[in-house]
Amino acid sequence: MIEKSRFDFNQLSQGFEFPAESYILDESTIRDYLQATGDTSNLYQQRPLVPPLAVAALAMAALSEKITLPPGTIHVSQELAFCGLVFSGDQITCNSKVSRKVDRGGLRLMSTDIMVTNQHGKTVLTGKVGFVLPNMQKIPG
Amino acid sequence: MLKKKVRQEDINLYAKASRDFNPIHIDEEFARQTPTGGTIAHGMLVLAYVSQMMTGAFGETWLEAGQLNVRFKTPARPGDNLTISGKVKKCTEDNTCLTVVCDVLCTNEKGETVISGETVVRVNKNENRC
Repeated sequence: MIEKSRFDFNQLSQGFEFPAESYILDESTIRDYLQATGDTSNLYQQRPLVPPLAVAALAMAALSEKITLPPGTIHVSQELAFCGLVFSGDQITCNSKVSRKVDRGGLRLMSTDIMVTNQHGKTVLTGKVGFVLPNMQKIPG
Repeated sequence: MLKKKVRQEDINLYAKASRDFNPIHIDEEFARQTPTGGTIAHGMLVLAYVSQMMTGAFGETWLEAGQLNVRFKTPARPGDNLTISGKVKKCTEDNTCLTVVCDVLCTNEKGETVISGETVVRVNKNENRC
């Protein structure tokens, strides 16, 4: 596997945009996802629909593959808005940007905006992820 | 309401499907040495249960135009029995759509809150999207 470049938390500033990442939503990934979540909804049997949280999970994976966060970092909040149906076989592109990075009361907070488009350029999901990081002088890379 | 039992095998499969192989979720030996004291489920896995409940209530409308805003309060661990529930907080209506705002909650068997937050669904009254 090719090691992708990762950004250290200290390198990031508000407005920083991570390189986009694309995934093809293949049937086996969606099947694994539905099995892991125990989701037996008929909706996914009748049409090749993809659960929006599967799309969100891949957007999160795209983000986490690009940041080196210190041990003890906690994913504290999640906002999501689904903007259209996603189907098995679609290619999604995940974009993310640091929207907030502040120190408060001995903790460091970071929010990242995410936006996912499909192969037609249509936005299918937007969201915001909140992290709390332990306060350290310097984070090891 | 939805009931789910957190199982390590589901966490492992979720790691594969979501490409999130953080050892805190899948490596028991590693996780034992961290403040969590053992593996924990991905927050997004538990959030998927909330979305599953909303899909059961609103069907394709949720998949196409749902919104959620939640906070992760307590980690879910293998063996935990989770209860996911939702309660309509507010309904508003205009000429084209009905907007339903719900409080959603996921708790473990100890009564601890795992996830809490709010969802919004706009149900169209006509053929067009809201």
